[in-house]
Amino acid sequence: MDLTQGFGDRSGGESVTGLVESLNFSDEIRQLVTMPPENTGSFTALLEMPATQAMELLHFTDTSCSQATGDIAPPTLHHPFGTLALPSDSLLMDRAGRFSVIASEQNGNISGDSNSSANVKTEPTETDSMAENHNRNNCSGKRKEREKKVKSSMKKSKSSEEAEKLPYVHVRARRGQATDNHSLAERARREKINARMKLLQELVPGCDKIQGTALVLDEIINHVQSLQRQVEMLSMRLAAVNPRIDFNLDSILASEVSFM
Amino acid sequence: MNTYNRVKQEFIKKWITTLHMFDSSVEHPTNVTERRNAIRLSSDIAIAATRTGSTVWSRALISRTRNKTTDKPVARRILRKARNRMKNRCTTLRRNGHFKAKIGVRKRTEMLKSLVPGGELIDDKDYLIRETLDYIVYLRAQVDVMRTVAAVDSVSGNLPNDRRNK
Repeated sequence: MDLTQGFGDRSGGESVTGLVESLNFSDEIRQLVTMPPENTGSFTALLEMPATQAMELLHFTDTSCSQATGDIAPPTLHHPFGTLALPSDSLLMDRAGRFSVIASEQNGNISGDSNSSANVKTEPTETDSMAENHNRNNCSGKRKEREKKVKSSMKKSKSSEEAEKLPYVHVRARRGQATDNHSLAERARREKINARMKLLQELVPGCDKIQGTALVLDEIINHVQSLQRQVEMLSMRLAAVNPRIDFNLDSILASEVSFM
Repeated sequence: MNTYNRVKQEFIKKWITTLHMFDSSVEHPTNVTERRNAIRLSSDIAIAATRTGSTVWSRALISRTRNKTTDKPVARRILRKARNRMKNRCTTLRRNGHFKAKIGVRKRTEMLKSLVPGGELIDDKDYLIRETLDYIVYLRAQVDVMRTVAAVDSVSGNLPNDRRNK
């Protein structure tokens, strides 16, 4: 009895501590593991809205707090008209300054029209627009918050009286003017991917010596496959040993906790 | 290290719960394959539920498990409880960019997408790698715990319950 008890404890202890030591967790990985919950609050809130309104909100939150969407969100959202690229990266936010703002009071075109409301993109104060639009931008900046609040009602009832309260700011989006911005953004994105690949290399054992993205991905794929296969085999092993599903886990939990 | 151990502790607690639920719902299954399926499904649900926060792989894993256990009302209860804790919207976000992927990398990312639960829904390569990183951590925790449980269990399967006082 004592022998088997000691053996069970030792094997449990060895496997737990030995595996824990061999994992070699770096601070970044731990940060990564705990970071997503903080940043996805606003992100998943965005996902529940249709694309157009989410786009407005995204741009608004980007200007107010650049960390809103966080790292885990992809950089751009698909716009139904296909002309807008939303900035979430700090480099891409320079592009926001290039968007021209056309105030709605000029053409008298209010967002009672459903198409125009879909085309709306609110704009921060710094733009290339003329000086006379600057005041209107400031007003619309205040109204942005009101817009956000009535967004749900806007979706359902696009009445003209609501539009008169909040004159929509129509934005004609231009693509990134110089290719420099574009390649800068591309380079930033590639660097991000490479940084993540390095983290993955640290996580997957035996990956440090490999150069090249494809081979590292190979190793990662092998690792994930082997882990999944291990889960299968272990569950088969547990099922074969025990006659019932609920095997004797309470005592195991007691011995497990004592090693952690 | 502390985070990892905490993950394992959380996982084993949740696994015990799901195992109990599975056990109470099903009359003694005679088939080894059924038992193995039950154990694996309960383990998957538990590891996905351990991941608090909205990740694609955890939600996809839970919804994938749901398709396999629709006949068990208890399993559905577990899944509902786990799902209520996270927002279960898995939407695809398309990227409007022009990055050119090398052929070797592209094929491998396709394969990685098929491995990671919910990977096919992710278009952004950066996001995919983040999800894979997260998934590997939790998958490894799952394997570690199961291996320990199997090791201890094979040794002390038939011992009386006085071991609990240890």
